[in-house]
Amino acid sequence: MSQQIGVVDYGAAGNVFSISRALEYAGAKVKVVKRPRDISGVDKLVMPGVGSFIDGMRELNASGMSDVIREYAGAGHPLLGICLGMQVLSNVGFEYGETEGLKLIRGEVRAMECKGVVPHMGFSPVSVVTDSPILKGVSPTDLFYFMHSFEVQNYTDIIALSDYAGHQFVSGVQRENIFGLQFHPEKSRQAGIRIFENFLAL
Amino acid sequence: MRIIAKLDVKPPQVVKPVHFEGLRKVGSPNELAIKYYEQGADEIFYIDIVSSLYRREILHQYIEDTAKSILVPFAVGGGVQSVDDFSKLFHHGADKVTINTAAHKDPSIIDAAAKIFGGQSVVVNIEAKSQQDGRWECYTDCGRIPSGRDVVQWAKEAEARGAGEILLQSVDTDGRQRGFDIALIKAVVDAVNIPVVAASGAGTLESILEVAQMARPSGIALASVLHYGKTTIGDVKRFLIEQGVEVAV
Repeated sequence: MSQQIGVVDYGAAGNVFSISRALEYAGAKVKVVKRPRDISGVDKLVMPGVGSFIDGMRELNASGMSDVIREYAGAGHPLLGICLGMQVLSNVGFEYGETEGLKLIRGEVRAMECKGVVPHMGFSPVSVVTDSPILKGVSPTDLFYFMHSFEVQNYTDIIALSDYAGHQFVSGVQRENIFGLQFHPEKSRQAGIRIFENFLAL
Repeated sequence: MRIIAKLDVKPPQVVKPVHFEGLRKVGSPNELAIKYYEQGADEIFYIDIVSSLYRREILHQYIEDTAKSILVPFAVGGGVQSVDDFSKLFHHGADKVTINTAAHKDPSIIDAAAKIFGGQSVVVNIEAKSQQDGRWECYTDCGRIPSGRDVVQWAKEAEARGAGEILLQSVDTDGRQRGFDIALIKAVVDAVNIPVVAASGAGTLESILEVAQMARPSGIALASVLHYGKTTIGDVKRFLIEQGVEVAV
């Protein structure tokens, strides 16, 4: 039987549609999780990634989903954050002022500072620096779509790094059952589908 | 350099205007999106070119149908009036939303959208027309109505307000397949520090190379040249790589 994957709906922002289609493509059954009670029956949880840190956290706090996500991850269930979904796993973000994050991954979210134009938008490779089941099978020639102005800055839990305009940044993190990816697997052709297949295989 | 396929949609068809007028039907958005996705497009832009003019909302069913067929970013625009319109489009499968006419009426919509959805999802669509004094003016309602705003100043304002990208189209060169307005694109690329997608004018492979090298935009949008089968995304990318331009394959 296919697994039921919860996809967190933040409210105004969030690309639930794209993530859901890509997860279904990878073989999952998707359940949109908007309110705390929606979490029941969810085998694994994905937090998508469109929006700003401050508004994303405001929505998660207002709906009561922040506590639910922390409890869910605390109980050992797999959690995958994508782009903003990865960023809000951190302790704190600095997009439109200082905002507390979910504190599931040690790190802070700060504006990218580099020579290139920002947002960083386009396909780039990721280099795997720590073996992680979520990145199984990723090769140096695989390209993933990035679309972000902010980055997670941390020194622990790093599984992948990427480069943009001569600037190296964290493109993947993992802390036990909690995974975060700065790029969008749902927008990265077959290479991205493989990431979702890896998530389903956990 | 991203190579982007741009669909100008007059539901239920993709059309290709010349100078933003004189529409020819070229296929359904869904079919063409899949075709260009399979050719290797880095992104698909879908612009409903009549919703602003007809003062009606963009047709969400077409967006969903197209969005679910492609696994690359999908930017959607046309007739977007409010933050609520942005939200609806994201929920129907858009990854970015483009805005033009409504932002000229009330530029603060850019700030509001960037704050809620993140700047990376907010694309300001500029329809530029050259003026006698060598500058360019922004047009709205699909190249029909002059806004009075200078293109370079407006691009800077869009960036300051939090837009994450500029789609730069030229009313003068659009649909003619006779080359891009290089001076326009260079002026905007040099004025801002956010990605600029250059559109309007791709004809030959050389014309695409020319804009890539001379103006250095972050992306190049192709429409007529693909719709009429003059070339494919794959051929464009191969040619650019041979010429030393970095593209994703």
